[in-house]
Amino acid sequence: MGFLLRIWRGSPDPPRFRAVRQLYRIVNIINSPEARGRGLLRRWLSERQLAQFDAFNFFDVIGCQTAKRYRIYYATAANVEELDKGGHPLMRYCFVPTGNLVPGDVMLAQKIALETDELAALELANKFQPSPQRLA
Amino acid sequence: MATQIVMDHTGDRRHQFDPQNASELAEAEKRFMELTGVGFTAAARTATGETIKVASFDPTAKETVFFPRLVGG
Repeated sequence: MGFLLRIWRGSPDPPRFRAVRQLYRIVNIINSPEARGRGLLRRWLSERQLAQFDAFNFFDVIGCQTAKRYRIYYATAANVEELDKGGHPLMRYCFVPTGNLVPGDVMLAQKIALETDELAALELANKFQPSPQRLA
Repeated sequence: MATQIVMDHTGDRRHQFDPQNASELAEAEKRFMELTGVGFTAAARTATGETIKVASFDPTAKETVFFPRLVGG
């Protein structure tokens, strides 16, 4: 911040300074942990999952062992729901990687787990009734 | 170049290596063993885009993602 103030004081051109500040802010946003996690997740989603994620901030995966459908929401806990054939939530699961990861990373780990070792992931998950706001 | 992506609180750490370079390859294999040894899961994608778990170091994998052990939340 001190660096920016020094530029501000010495700048004969405030609009240029504002542009630099805006650029600095954009670069910070692009390089934030959350943005990096989101970017990695987007690269690993299938075409269909990516379209769904961009539209709704969640995506569906098919469990590799039971062929059940799960919906993974943009969050870091209790964000996985098992869906019935009509797309209604049956059960909510909470299983997350350790280490305070950002939402994109958590979601990617959950996707990989359900697509490669579904039953092991569900075995360690805590289970809840689906949240009322998502039941509609 | 191949990449190993290790998830952490900053988003991730990326390690690039040249599979044709013996010392870089050895370092990548060592990293793989260390991470999976402490509970990380390694995953890669097939040519068709399918996600697969990687149980042993694959020098031909273009991109491998590592995430920490899963726990019930």
